[in-house]
Amino acid sequence: MTRIERLINLIIALLETRWPLSAGEIRERVGGYGQDNYDSFRRAFERDKDDLRAMGIPIEVRKKDPLDEHSDGYIIDKERYYLPDLELEADEIAALRIATEAVRGGQGEAAAGLMKISVDSTTAPVDGPQVAWGDDMRQPALGAIYEAQLERRPITFDYQSASGDRTDRRLEPYGLVNRRGHWYVVGNDVDRDAPRAFRISRIQGNVTMLEGDYAIPPGFDAQAHLPAEPYEMGERPREAVVRFDASLAWWVDQNLGRATRVEQADGSLDLTLPVGNVEALVSWVLGFGAAVEVLSPSEARSAILDHLEPLLGGARG
Amino acid sequence: MAEAGEGRLGKRLKRILVMLPYVIANPGVEVAELARKFGAKEKELVRDLEMLWFCGLPGYGPGDLIEVRLDGDRVYVDMADYFAKTVRITPAEALALYAGGAAVSSLPGMEEADALRRALKKLSAGLNTRDGEAAGIAVALEPGSEAHLEALREARAGQRRVEIEYLSASHGELSERSVDPWGLLAALGHWYLVGHDHLSGEERMFRTDRIKRVTITDEPAEVPDDFDPDHYKGAFSGRGEATLALEVSPAVAVWFEDYYPVTSSEALDDGWRSVSLVAGGERWAATLIARLGADARNVRPPEMLSAARCLAKSVAARYND
Repeated sequence: MTRIERLINLIIALLETRWPLSAGEIRERVGGYGQDNYDSFRRAFERDKDDLRAMGIPIEVRKKDPLDEHSDGYIIDKERYYLPDLELEADEIAALRIATEAVRGGQGEAAAGLMKISVDSTTAPVDGPQVAWGDDMRQPALGAIYEAQLERRPITFDYQSASGDRTDRRLEPYGLVNRRGHWYVVGNDVDRDAPRAFRISRIQGNVTMLEGDYAIPPGFDAQAHLPAEPYEMGERPREAVVRFDASLAWWVDQNLGRATRVEQADGSLDLTLPVGNVEALVSWVLGFGAAVEVLSPSEARSAILDHLEPLLGGARG
Repeated sequence: MAEAGEGRLGKRLKRILVMLPYVIANPGVEVAELARKFGAKEKELVRDLEMLWFCGLPGYGPGDLIEVRLDGDRVYVDMADYFAKTVRITPAEALALYAGGAAVSSLPGMEEADALRRALKKLSAGLNTRDGEAAGIAVALEPGSEAHLEALREARAGQRRVEIEYLSASHGELSERSVDPWGLLAALGHWYLVGHDHLSGEERMFRTDRIKRVTITDEPAEVPDDFDPDHYKGAFSGRGEATLALEVSPAVAVWFEDYYPVTSSEALDDGWRSVSLVAGGERWAATLIARLGADARNVRPPEMLSAARCLAKSVAARYND
């Protein structure tokens, strides 16, 4: 018997059983577990269980005998296994199809999800608007974090900060935010007992679920815990004044509508921006070439010259 | 990563668990239809179905096994009521649908946006959640001007050439361009117009927030049949452009490959990383090198380094008085 047959038999047995099956019962009764010794059975069973759970099949551990703590049994809760009828209308499925086509990276997952919820649907494929996004979806940690968030389980992971320090963090995930093309998880940092945001791509290795549960504060706004612009990040933002040449005034109007501005006689605009991270401000300003100048604070002005020093100085290859 | 969760076995098992409810609900369905619907070869599906002969309830006697009948091209499955309904969607699947939906519904003027919002709301019932609340996902894409994005989408749908006034990446200069729009992509938080640029005679990407004006013309646009949004990464097409090679510091190496289309990358003994990438032109390369500052060294070719020095001089001139 092949492994896939054994996995199907295990799903059927755990779905149809009336009471939890012990490992011993599974070994004896489920087709495909003919292993001679208990250890090799146990290894095969553990691997099957992990893989099925990773596919979203809710295998639960329950006590066969409430008085005996060594009486672990396994069962699949039908309520948690079967997809309820979502009562999706034809136009809603068509719209989801467009959304699926638009996701890059996550397309396989989106298509698998869509297949499940539209298996009875006869709507034809649509000509989508040729949009695509989501390079950042190709991160296994994303699904694991979202699962923990849905189940309100704390997680732990190894995190590398922007400066390169690595620390183990414990987090109660409250929300996922995609900002500037990067995914962040915002939640309660258990060791600091304060809300923190973490960039998913800086998580090293696996995300592990911990025991326990938590509640998400009502009305929690994950986006509010992420600064809008990279230069706003930092502990103590202060005001900086940045001058945009007249040739870029339209760009400021179109893209930085909220910022306070003063128009000069020559048409250039002086913008006041909250800056917590001078390095990020330098990088952002340099993106505009010589058309944008930082007027204050003076540290930011000298930071620009320092930053460019390797290119302004002598020979460098 | 778990083997069945990710590998071929997992994909096959997932397909079987979704296909069975469909076959049970549609007795006598043709193999060819299943192949179309579930994106697999007919041979693979027949193999999947034949394998099920040996699956069923413990006991595995005649009354326990799944009954699969292949009658010519037609398929019948009985004795498998437990597979009459499909398995719930997983968090990763829902996340991908929410994310795709968020991107599409953020496009101005999408007729489907309302249906999409309704659909995404209903989706949470298909997940196993603690308290029925699935959301907790926010996507913030910066469209720049909504009016531009809507005009570009309309031009793409009607296959019309557009004229745009565009701010080039590093010089703060506006240029007039005439573009055949192929598609709109969101990458790194920005929307880009991809298309054939008649000014350079090449395929180009334009960040929509840097477009000052869009005019839809009466000229038809040519869209290649093989246009594939998956071809693009980051901010440029990576087709037929010059290579930039440099070494980046350990601090930059952490994020560099997230942002740039790195074609080769090698760790050096001192923690720095030697990388090659496709440069979106000399001016683009100059801006990148200037922004990296002391976090870049050994820049090649020399023309790109001189372009960066030129840029640095013109910026520094504003601070040295």
